[in-house]
Amino acid sequence: QVVVLYFARSAELAGLRSETISVPRQITSLQLWEEIVKIHPRLAVIRDQVVFAVQQEYVLLGDQLLVLHPGDEVAIIPPISGG
Amino acid sequence: MDESEDVPKDFIKLKSEKLSVEEVSELVVSPYCGAVSLFIGTTRNNFEGKKVIHLEYEAYTSMAETEIKKICRDVRQKWPSVKHVAVHHRLGLVPITEASVIIAVSSPHRAESLEAVRYCINTLKASVPIWKKEIYEDEYSWKENKECFWANSEK
Repeated sequence: QVVVLYFARSAELAGLRSETISVPRQITSLQLWEEIVKIHPRLAVIRDQVVFAVQQEYVLLGDQLLVLHPGDEVAIIPPISGG
Repeated sequence: MDESEDVPKDFIKLKSEKLSVEEVSELVVSPYCGAVSLFIGTTRNNFEGKKVIHLEYEAYTSMAETEIKKICRDVRQKWPSVKHVAVHHRLGLVPITEASVIIAVSSPHRAESLEAVRYCINTLKASVPIWKKEIYEDEYSWKENKECFWANSEK
């Protein structure tokens, strides 16, 4: 079970800021995205513009294998605009 | 005041209250430094012909602070003479002409602090999870920094 955090446009599309979901301990970042889109289909439109932050490290959507632990934070990171 | 206590410090703050240039520059002032360089990011009132009413910022706060700490660490590796670094970023609603971000760096001589400030703001725009929403008269837009490598720039 991981905690998914939504920010900016992704929070607007998903309609919430955080939730706990159940995913396999080992999963590619793309598979993780697909699991999240199953729950919130409106997120599909931003697929090409987001990255994840898994335990506060950026991860591109792709074949990278993630090793997740219970309570890990996974954040959806739309294009940033700080400063 | 014990001057031998002037160890290099990073001052990082994300807050919703109005930022103060005086407060941030005073954080980095040091008797060992002849230079304090500052960058202030302010809110423009227009974008592509549309009138901007105000900005709203949100952040992944814990990660943003960690990423800013990494920037400070990089600054000290690149410019070892840098003394103090302060980065204050505002969150929530920011009215036109008010500051969204203030960065201050002190160093014994001016070259290092000037370069370090530039590096800080450029790297912040590329790597710190903070988002800006521009509010216009009848719509809004989530902005995307051109420094952000995962942004779809054709949008």
